Parts: sequence; C-alpha cells; structure tokens
Amino acid sequence: MRSRSSISPGWTLLLVTTLLVCIVAAPTFGQMPDDGVITFEDTVQVMVAAPTSLIATDHKYDDGEKIDLQWVPSIDDLPGIGTVVGYRIYRQDDGGVAEVIANLPAKANHYRDENTELGHTYIYSVAALTDGAEFMSNLTESISPEREWIDFSKRYLFLIALLVGGAVIYFIEIARRGKKLFVRKIAGLEAVDDAVGRATEMGRPILFIPGIQDMDDVQTLAGLTILGRISKTIADYDTEIFMPVSRSLVMTAGREIIKSSYQTAGRPEKYSDNMVTYITDEQFGYVAAVDGIMVREKPATVFLLGAFFAESLILAETGNYIGAIQIAGTARPAQLPFFIAACDFTLIGEELFAASAYLSEDPKALGSLKGQDVGKAVAMVIIVVGVLAATMGQAWDISSMNSLVDILKTIFSTS
Amino acid sequence: MLVAGIILVLTVIAYLAKVVGGFEGVQFSPTVSVIVVILLAASLLWILVLTLKGRLIGRRVVFLYVGIAVSLPLFMSISQKIVISPETQQLYDAISELPSGAKVLVSFDYDPPSAPELQPMAEAFLYYCFTHDFKVIVIGLWPQGPQQANLAIDKLLALPEIEAKNLQYGIDYVNLGYQAGNEFVIQRMGGSFESMFPTDYSGHPYSDLELVRNIRNFSNIDYSFNLSAGYPGTQEWVQVAVDRYGLSMGGGNTAVQAPMMYTYLQAGQLAGLLGGMNGAAEFEKLVGREDKGTRFMLSQSFAHMVVIAFILIGNVAFIVGGRKKKL
Amino acid sequence: MEHFAVWVAAFLTLGIVSFLYKDNPWYKLSEAIFVGISAGYWFVVLFWDNIYGKFWNGIFPEELIDSAGNVVTREPDYWLLVGAVLGTLMLLRLIPKIGWISRWPLAFIIGCTSGLYLINYFSSNMMRQVEATIMPLVGHWVLDPATSQNAFSAFSGADIFSNLVLVIGTFTGLVYFYFSKEHRGAFGGTAKVGIFFIMITFGASFGYTVMSRMSLLIGRADFLLFDWLGLVR
Repeated sequence: MRSRSSISPGWTLLLVTTLLVCIVAAPTFGQMPDDGVITFEDTVQVMVAAPTSLIATDHKYDDGEKIDLQWVPSIDDLPGIGTVVGYRIYRQDDGGVAEVIANLPAKANHYRDENTELGHTYIYSVAALTDGAEFMSNLTESISPEREWIDFSKRYLFLIALLVGGAVIYFIEIARRGKKLFVRKIAGLEAVDDAVGRATEMGRPILFIPGIQDMDDVQTLAGLTILGRISKTIADYDTEIFMPVSRSLVMTAGREIIKSSYQTAGRPEKYSDNMVTYITDEQFGYVAAVDGIMVREKPATVFLLGAFFAESLILAETGNYIGAIQIAGTARPAQLPFFIAACDFTLIGEELFAASAYLSEDPKALGSLKGQDVGKAVAMVIIVVGVLAATMGQAWDISSMNSLVDILKTIFSTS
Repeated sequence: MLVAGIILVLTVIAYLAKVVGGFEGVQFSPTVSVIVVILLAASLLWILVLTLKGRLIGRRVVFLYVGIAVSLPLFMSISQKIVISPETQQLYDAISELPSGAKVLVSFDYDPPSAPELQPMAEAFLYYCFTHDFKVIVIGLWPQGPQQANLAIDKLLALPEIEAKNLQYGIDYVNLGYQAGNEFVIQRMGGSFESMFPTDYSGHPYSDLELVRNIRNFSNIDYSFNLSAGYPGTQEWVQVAVDRYGLSMGGGNTAVQAPMMYTYLQAGQLAGLLGGMNGAAEFEKLVGREDKGTRFMLSQSFAHMVVIAFILIGNVAFIVGGRKKKL
Repeated sequence: MEHFAVWVAAFLTLGIVSFLYKDNPWYKLSEAIFVGISAGYWFVVLFWDNIYGKFWNGIFPEELIDSAGNVVTREPDYWLLVGAVLGTLMLLRLIPKIGWISRWPLAFIIGCTSGLYLINYFSSNMMRQVEATIMPLVGHWVLDPATSQNAFSAFSGADIFSNLVLVIGTFTGLVYFYFSKEHRGAFGGTAKVGIFFIMITFGASFGYTVMSRMSLLIGRADFLLFDWLGLVR
C-alpha cells in the first residue's frame, strides 16, 4: 500500500485513498467526531495499514478507574520511513459520541486510559496517523472497568510485613511471660543517671526537650518513655525539672508522666504543672524561647530526646555554650551530626527506641525491638545473597543466579 | 550607645538615599573584588598564625567573619563557575521529555524561612514549565506554601517572554491552595484531588477550573515536583504518591534534607533532585535564567571557605592545646 | 506602610542576630514578639483551615458560584462529625474527673498514624531499599544494539567502588543497629565498620546543613543590604 505515489498520478491516489479510508473507517466507527474526520490537503496522501488486534482489558487492582489497551502497530510503522506519525485513541462512553482521549507517538503499542468511571461501558478504537489521514483499527468489545478490593500485587509486602509483625507479636508475648529478652548495652544510657546526679549536686535545673513533633511521632513517645525514667530519679532527688514543649498534647502527656513519678516517690505536693509549659507550635519561635530559657536559667543538664529538625544545632549549640551536660537522641538522620558534635552523649537513630525499651522494660517496647531485629536480619541475609547472586550471575552468566536475583527483586519491589 | 546611634543615623541616611535619592547601590569592580578576597584570606592566615602561637580568638570573631563572608560577595562583580551535578541533570532530563501541555503538579511544602534556598528553585522550575507550555497545578501541604507559589508565579508572569504567552489562570496554571492533614492529604489525593481541594486558593470550585476539571488523581499527572523544607515533604510524597500511586516525581530540597533523599534517588523513587542553593543555581543555569540562586552562590562559596578555614584553625587550636590568651 | 514593614522586619532580624553578641533586651523583645505572633498565627491557621475550612465547611458546605454564574453545591461530609466527636473527647482532659476519656481519641490518632507509617516506611524505606541494594558489583550484561546480542559490560573502577561502598555501608549499618547481639568479635568489628560509614554520612550531612544555614543567612543579608538599605546593586 505504501509508495503508490511514485507510480500513480496524484488525483488517482487521492480518489483511491478517499474510497479506501471511507470503506475502512466509516463502518467501524459510525459516530466519528469532527476532529476525527480524515482531512486531505492538496498534496499526495500515503496509505498505511491500520493497527490490528486491538484489545481492551480491565486494569488489575485498581478502583475501577483504568482500562489497558494493547494493539499491534501498523505494519507500515517502520523505523526510518516515518509514514506513520503516531496513533490516536478514540473512546465511546456509554454509547455516546466517540472522543479523542490521547495522541501517541509512532511505535506506540499500548495505552492506559486512567480516566474511566465505575459502571460505565466503553468502546475503544485506535487510528494510525499519517501526515493528514487516519486509518482505524477494529473496535474493541464493550468493557466496563472493575474495582478490586484487595491489591494482590502487594502480596509479598504483606507476607514480609506479616513475618516481621508476627515476630514482634511473638517477642512481646515472650516478654510478657517474664522471659528476659537480651538487648545489647547502649553507650550513653549510663550517663542518664550521672547527668541527673550532676544537676542535683549543682543545685541547678534539668531541661528536658522532647523534640517538636506531636504524640503521633514515635520519637516523641520514646523521648517521653525516657522522661518517665528520668522523672523518677528527679522525684527521688527532688531536682528541679523544666520541660518547654511545642505541642499541646505533649504538654499533657509530659505533665502526666512527671506527676505520676512524684506520686510514686511519695511527694505529690512537690509537683507543679509549671514544670511542663507550652511555648508555641512555630518551630523557630519555640527555638528562640528555649534558647532564652537556657541562657537565663542555666540548666546543669539538657536532654534533647525526640524528633528534631532545623532547631537541633541551635539548641545543642546553646546548651554547649552554657556548659550544660547534654544527652541527645533522635531518629532524624539529618540532625544527628549536630547532636554528635555538640552533645556529650547521643543516642543514634534506633538507639533512642532501644534505650526507651531498655529503660522501661516494657514488654511491648522490648518485643518490638526484637521483632525489628528479625526484619533487619532478613534484610541482611537478602542483601548478601542477592549481591552475591547478582555478581556471580552477571560475571559468569549463570542463569540460575540471574533468576534468583529476579525473584528477589520481584519480591522486594513492592509493586 | 554612641556606636548604636551612629549606625542608626547611617542606616537612615542609606535608606533615605535609596528611597528619596534613587541611590542604586554599590558594586565592586573585579579588581576591588579580588583585593577584598586577598585581604580576607590574609586576615584568616593571620588568625592561623596567632592560633599557632597559642592566642585563641573568641566565638564572636567567627560570627563576624561568617557575616563578612556572606555579605561582601553580594557587592562583588565576579562570577562563579556552576558545575551541573548528575541529580540536577536527571531532573532536567525528566522534564525535557515531557510534551507540551503536560500536566505538572508542584507541591510547595515550605514557608518563608526556607525561601532563600527553595524560592529560586521554584522560580526556575515554573519558568521552565511556563516557557514550555506545561500546565501547572500548585498545591501546598504547608500553610504558607501557596503564598510562596503566588510570589513566584507573579514574578514570572511579569517577565516579557512569559507575558507574551498570555497565560490564563485556570487554563494554564492553577493554585489549589493549602490543605491540612500532611501525608493523609497525599493519600486522599491518590483517590481524588477534588476531595482534598474542593476549591482553589481563591475559592473557585474545582469543577469550574478547566485545567483540573478532568484531573481525577495522580494517574492524570505527567510529572510532579516537590519543594520541601521538612515534614511533610519529599519523603512523604515518595512514600505515598510515588510508591503507592506510581507518580513520577522530582524533589527540590533544602540542603539539610537533601542527603536523606539520595536514598530515594539511588533506588529510582525520585526522578531528579535539587539540593539546596547549589541545586537551585545549577537548575537556573540549565533552564537558562540565572537569578538569585546563581547570584547567592558566591556568598555561599565564601562562607564555606571561611567555615573550612575555621575548622582548620579550630583543629590547630585543639592540637596546640594552650589557652594562653584570648583575643 | 511598606516602608514601615521593611523597617520592622529589619529591626527584628537584627534583634535576633544580636544574640550572637550576648543575650540582651533587644533579643528578648524580638523573641517575645516572635513567640507571641507565631503562637497567634498558628491559632489562626488551625482555626480557619481546620475548624472552619475543613470541619464547618465540610458539614455546611458553602454555595459556590462558578464562572458562568451558576451555583455549585456540595454534599455535606458527615464523616467529619466522627472527628468532631473525637476532638471534643480530647477536650475532656480539662475536666479531671473524666479526663481519662481523652485517651480514646489519642489512641485513634496513634493507631491511624501507626498503620499508615507501618506500610509507608516498610515499603519505601525497607523493601525498596533492599531491592535497590541487590546489584552486581563488577559489571552486567547488556543488549548490544549493533549485534542484537547480549554482551558483558564491565563496570569502571569508580562504579565498582561506588557499588561496594553502597553494599558494605548498608550491610554494616544494619549490623550496627542490630540489638540482639553484643558487639564483640567479628560481629563487633563489622558494627565498627558500620559506625564508620554512619559517621561519614553524618559528616556529609553536616556539610550540607552548613550550606543550608548559610543560605538562610545569605537570604537575610540580601534582605538587609538590598531590600532594606539598597546598598547592593
């Protein structure tokens, strides 16, 4: 069908092309839109074969909003010739007028319609475009998108989460039954009691900063768990503590923790709500206030335990400047360098949670920590096996190793 | 008190000169700029010698030097070579592949304190979008984000090359405003944009905005760019929009955050990354509109040189050990 | 008014910076203004965006007028009442006798967030990262377009080094954060390598943050010298 122009006079080709296009396109797509009508210029038109084998399938594991189209491109869509300049997708929605929904480049053989509605029925067609004409494929069967309630493409994510989650529950149960779970010693924990003792000896207050996030951040919870331990010692020694916070919920939780420590120590009258004060939610407003408090009150010990952001260095540097002993801990990797540089002891990342579990001896915290260790062990094993297999598979072209890598990558790709 | 009074008088004079007298400011010639650099370097060398002799400087001297290193380059007329990093190039390549009319979602997740780093990125990115006829949808997960977006858009619309395009609000770009809820907003946007943004920043109904009327969720977005200064930010966008909904996304981050984003870049979860002012300057160079990001880089480099110098001096002081006399 | 705003901004900027010299009344004044305004600002934001914008407007949607002058109505979202009830329960903390009820909404918040975070972090920060770490160290097979056949392409020295750093760094870092075994012997040695990598990462992060902080300072210097005094051209 191609290159007829070289052997036929222009007007003959124009006539034949028009006829052929009418024969091919009109019956297959009775309600052709205005912009889908084939137009001709006064140049010679080139005939190309239409795309074939167009099929539409419901996209799996979605909310009924996607339909996948696949077709065999025009046999005239060949590299370097350029007679097919692209493809145009038409869609009929519930028997309505067919509309253009996408224009694709040459060589395209699939398209995903991501704008479908549940309960609607669609019919699609694909046209091969030349420089001035369109050549329609067959129409698809009527198709309605479906909604799937469970996304089975995430099955491996589910299974591995189940493994780690199961390990957490298992270890929590073990801890609840009174079995001692081993957690390695964490450097810096011993310093907590020393730091409280120092403030007591110096007769100066302790400043506890629980980060700037709310109670939904696990770092804040870990910080408050350690506060529970610190406040017990403080209540015993009758040391002064001050805890400025940037979240109202943290203020309430902090007050409860310190109050219960004083009650346990048998001196509830010593507790005051003023020990825990709300400053502001605004990050740098909070920092400006806490900096001022540090310089004026000159606490002997500063605890910075929780979720910190840009304020970490400003706070730790001011604490360092006033000569306080500082114990910090956060799981925000970007802020750890400053704590390490400016504080006496730093709980790095997960050490904060480990310390919280270790100090509280809470079965849930300990069990979670051990369960997570299972996850880490799985990750370590997979990395070693995967890297070795990938290296051996690629270096010596061992197909079984390459297959193993493919399997591992499929499992961990989560999609 | 006297010094403070003199400074106040001088500032009032400078301000009046600007406002009333039309004073346009000072710019050092390249020769003067080089002399200033040499003087600065010589004085740092002198401090090093003093330190070696055991005479340590106070912290205020360090602050003063950093202040000088940041301020003086703003007067200089020497330029700095900007080298394009692979992650910036990757972002540029990603948007270069987008066709005209591509729908680009830009989330402004920062506030004025982070503007020196992120506003130049925002302007450069939007400049590229507007000059390449992309359709821009702006949202913000930080309350002041949409305002920052408007500042950038207004500035760009005043440029002759953008003005000539006669861009229309609601057709070529739209600002859907702020929505509270952090990553839960991203999660809900995965189902429906309109459920989270029933109206735009100015209160127009979603369905009335031609640009977004047919945009249901991330499936209808061709590329997304997140300007992030913390939480919620790029990490949350990657975790929800990219990993759950398959959005193609690039990030523009403050330098504090940027190192943590390399993990996502390496794993292919991010298609390009601009880190800090350096990233902004690189991107400005790529899009062909050098502005504040590039202009500030000289100050940035000077400040880094001073910091490196003081790290060396500090280590020398630590090794020398003596604290014989404080200047 | 604009002149006044610029002067106020400059006055407060210099007031906060004066802390570098020492704590002083100017700093204290700037600090107090900052804290007060920011607390007020957040109150206003939370009220208009959450209580009014989200809750009130969700239950009693405003009628909107589109560009054609038609009234656009929205369906009320009564699910928001569940949130309102939980929010009200939170306020019961103010009544000591029944304050314990406020733990329920707190449990709801923590439960929802944990559920979302569990999957987000597990998927993006664990699974995807493990997948990205599985890589060949020396080279890989690629399709040669000229011959249409697979050919082994060896990595450059820099790529091999880069991949080794990535794999060893990830593995030893995991070992360091493994709490179920004491850091002794070969395990302890591996953990030491891990902390070595972690510290290098922190060094890089520190450098980036210095860059970030300097950017903020440059922004302020530009404001003072350009926007305020107009000294810079």
